[in-house]
Amino acid sequence: MPLLECRGLTRNFGALVAVDAVDLTVEPGEIRAVIGPNGAGKSTFFNLINGMLRPTAGSVLFDGKDITGLAAHRIARHGISRTFQLTHLMPDLTARENVRLAALASSPGRWRIVGGADILERAGEAADRAMERLRLAPFASMKANELSHGDQRLLEVAMALAQNARLLLLDEPTQGLSIEETERAVQILREMLNGEDLTVMLVEHDMEVVFKLADRITVLHRGQVIADGEPEEVRQNAEVQNAYLGGFD
Amino acid sequence: MRARGLFILVIAAAAAAGFGMPHLLPGYLVNILTEALIFGLFAMSLDLMIGYTRLESFGHAAAYGLGAYASALLLLSFDIPMLIVIPMAAIITGVVAMPIAWVCTRSTGISFAMLTLAFAQLFYASVYQFKDFSGGSDGIAGIARRAGPFGIDFFQTKIGYFYLVLIILILSFLFCRSLVASPFGQVLAGIRENEVKTRTLGYNTRAYRMVIVVLAYAFGGLAGALYAPLAGFASPELFFWRMSGMVLIMVIIGGRGTLVGPILGGAVFLFLEHELSALPMVRELWPLIFGSIFIAVILFAPQGLWGLFRSWREKRRIGVVSKPQSDAPHAAS
Repeated sequence: MPLLECRGLTRNFGALVAVDAVDLTVEPGEIRAVIGPNGAGKSTFFNLINGMLRPTAGSVLFDGKDITGLAAHRIARHGISRTFQLTHLMPDLTARENVRLAALASSPGRWRIVGGADILERAGEAADRAMERLRLAPFASMKANELSHGDQRLLEVAMALAQNARLLLLDEPTQGLSIEETERAVQILREMLNGEDLTVMLVEHDMEVVFKLADRITVLHRGQVIADGEPEEVRQNAEVQNAYLGGFD
Repeated sequence: MRARGLFILVIAAAAAAGFGMPHLLPGYLVNILTEALIFGLFAMSLDLMIGYTRLESFGHAAAYGLGAYASALLLLSFDIPMLIVIPMAAIITGVVAMPIAWVCTRSTGISFAMLTLAFAQLFYASVYQFKDFSGGSDGIAGIARRAGPFGIDFFQTKIGYFYLVLIILILSFLFCRSLVASPFGQVLAGIRENEVKTRTLGYNTRAYRMVIVVLAYAFGGLAGALYAPLAGFASPELFFWRMSGMVLIMVIIGGRGTLVGPILGGAVFLFLEHELSALPMVRELWPLIFGSIFIAVILFAPQGLWGLFRSWREKRRIGVVSKPQSDAPHAAS
């Protein structure tokens, strides 16, 4: 059974059809990239899956259950975590507190109003493991907004990881990074993906990154899927070349 | 560790001041000090919303007034000891706050502030509307501090009442301090810093906001419930927006997100206002002085006086050579 299945997923903004009848399935353990030019509907597509937007039509099934139109926090609790294209952190909390909050979300003790030091302690240990994976341990006690941009991007991934989700949605994890930072981030992400049994869907603009990380690629263009397949197939696809990869070699 | 040292210091200072002072002071000063402590408690309750959740309420007088009227009416209408009435009034305030919280948390930012204000004004208007029940513009007078249970009558005296307020303030502070450090408190910090992100982590952020609003109202109601038996009356002014503005300013001057800052801010400024307004020279000038202090704090100490004190201590501790500390207003205490 696929872990994620989108059927005819559609979202209109007035006359604009941002996501147009997208069918897509992601198998457990897959690293799927969703690519497409600016305005292709990639981020909207993520927002439909994680509940930040309601679809106009179509449905989303996660692990066989219909999660269409549920509130964002409910979908997160079903086991889908996400990062944002523009960094979303708790700027004034430390890096560790950020990740600890992510880890705490799956703990039944998250509603403890007084005390609860032991609950935070356990969430903190989970946070340390996630930060270790993304080589963020040295920055644990720094405030999130004092981290370099590259480490802030990775911190968001660490949070997604600490949520202990079954599907990670990564929205342009290398957005805004320099060439060196991107290389480092890709290497760290590669290690993370090898080290765990994760299912990941990532939106990415940088083709280098996509071909290094993904085992399967879906190409969106004006809200529609125009290609879907192994990286090599997609690279050869004439329609994709036209729509998007023109400048790429 | 640092926080713990500070904490012990504060408790010790409060206890020493509390246990020595009232016996040395004339009675009216004891009453003013008691009121100052009550106002500190009131300001601390608002800090839960403003400092820890970034829910800027401009109608916290609603909590104070509800607590005061609840305790006044309970004391006058039923034969219940004051020591039971006061927590009851706080709980009633919390219960009344539930629908308020439900409505207000539908919005954030300026609309949240306006909605809280609207509810406070609604209560203010209702006091005039339901005169038989509330006494209208005359308020409710003749509230007695009833003794008991078990014949306890120490708290009826001025000094006894001061101790009662001090004990309740310390216990409330300990509770709130534990709350802001708890898992729940961490989620509040997440909401304060980035609510969208906190929601996508899997937290029903609105439910958390509703709970903290109800708790803040309950503690605000506790302060109001302590005020009515102290003053002996409850008046509609307790609901008025001026009250909401005063307590908001005291939270900001004291240092939001610190609990201690608003307690001290609320207590010290209420005390100063009382004392300085009594001097003929200063009476007219006090709003000017207070306003100037407020402007100076906003400009030069955005994290409030307690925040300023804390970063000064921090700098001394780590030495002048190290890099400047960030001026973020919400450092965890």
